[in-house]
Amino acid sequence: MVSGTVMLACSLLFAQVQRPGEYPRGVKPSPMMNFFVTSEPIGDGGNLGGLAGADAHCQTLAAAVGAGNRTWHAYLSTQARPGKPAVNARDRIGTGPWYNFKGEMIAQDLAHLHGDTMELAHQGNNLNKLTGLTEKGQIVPGLYDYSDPRDNDWSYAKNTRFSTRHEMLTGTRTDGTAFTDAQDHTCDNWTSNASPASGRDGDLNASDGRLNAQIGFPDRNGGGSGSWNSAHGTRGCAQEDLPKTHGIGLFYCFATN
Amino acid sequence: MAKKSIFILAACLLLAQQDSPTAQFNTQGITPPAGSNPSPAKMTFFVTSIGMGKGGDLGGLAGADAHCQALAAAVGAGSHTWHAYLSTQARPGQPAINARDRIGTGPWFNWSFAQLGAPQNAVISANLAELHGDTLVQAQRGSNLFKQSTRNEHGQLINGVGDTPPIQHEILTGSKWDGRAYDDNADHTCNNWTSSTIGSAQVGHSDRIGNGSSWNSSNATKGCSQAALESTGGAGLFYCFAIN
Repeated sequence: MVSGTVMLACSLLFAQVQRPGEYPRGVKPSPMMNFFVTSEPIGDGGNLGGLAGADAHCQTLAAAVGAGNRTWHAYLSTQARPGKPAVNARDRIGTGPWYNFKGEMIAQDLAHLHGDTMELAHQGNNLNKLTGLTEKGQIVPGLYDYSDPRDNDWSYAKNTRFSTRHEMLTGTRTDGTAFTDAQDHTCDNWTSNASPASGRDGDLNASDGRLNAQIGFPDRNGGGSGSWNSAHGTRGCAQEDLPKTHGIGLFYCFATN
Repeated sequence: MAKKSIFILAACLLLAQQDSPTAQFNTQGITPPAGSNPSPAKMTFFVTSIGMGKGGDLGGLAGADAHCQALAAAVGAGSHTWHAYLSTQARPGQPAINARDRIGTGPWFNWSFAQLGAPQNAVISANLAELHGDTLVQAQRGSNLFKQSTRNEHGQLINGVGDTPPIQHEILTGSKWDGRAYDDNADHTCNNWTSSTIGSAQVGHSDRIGNGSSWNSSNATKGCSQAALESTGGAGLFYCFAIN
């Protein structure tokens, strides 16, 4: 009885206070959830085992919170290779509308999600720091949440869920399609964990030819634009390279049905 | 009764701690860029820390500009010429004025100190095209204003969605998303910033949360009184840019 009262009072007092990284107490994902940010990386940098490996990660995480009845795909593009056409992230995720852990709408359809027209692009979709939730309902820690120099160090980041980790792998341009230039933007189509030669880590647009992944921000904070799907590249593709710019290899998952 | 309240509060704190990160708001990692010498005098962008108190009546553009200038001067940034980011609509004999035409050419810098742990002048936007998303790719990427960079003249964050009330994220602009004035017959500017009663003002969201993620044109207010602005998460704040 007393503990019930306390819990009730607490839930009222802290109703608005769910800090980044924390799990919401006693709340399950909305049955409508067909979008989430992965709560954990695969852990091998840009090597996700290709699109199939990334999709399987989405499916496993979804199943663990009771949402495995849907078919989940990772929001990732792959670039064209000899004999293999490019795959566009936007063509992999169904047609929407998509809802997050709380049942809040992220976007109505593909055009709204990506801002296909000037009008839609300026309006923007509804993905932001408070809606870009993991399958466990967490807000993804972003810039300044618990700023710590160790955020850039994987050996620290892997042991806490509170390090800054707001860079989502996408390998995608702002319109949701694959890059068509000669540079790598997908860690070799999500199969590489290579780290660049030393001294080649200055340019986040990868004009130096190193393997890297294009990323976006669910919290819309950073990279000079706050783009949710295409802000800049990473230092490299090793797991240790990703935290150098405040990512850990998380990505977006969408259900196609 | 008081005893019970204290007990509940203490229990709450205990519960909250069970799931707390070890390092909270540790600011050690953020330092000014090498060679920079940040100061409020270098600030060329801020959100007004306070409104003018009369809702959408700002005394016209002149009154709003003077408010920007006074707030800037109070923190040592009065050497710039400050303009409010506001449009006015056409009237007989008076052409419309576009907010984007009033703010110089950039780049613009903010001033932040309080919550970053170290002083900074961070770039808000490089130029008018990036600020407004003039091309489709620029628009898809989004404006360069983030919740964490869109600060008032004291370097403080503006309360947004999810923060402790009062939420003040509805920023008066009277502008379309391209930074220009409306050309229809409806009021989008509280009668060119002279009405504190009837009418409506177009607002953007400083935290880019709400009806999409536009910083300068997301929705209309319910009215022009101070109470009407506050009823939807505003306070009559506006953006100020230095033109020099």
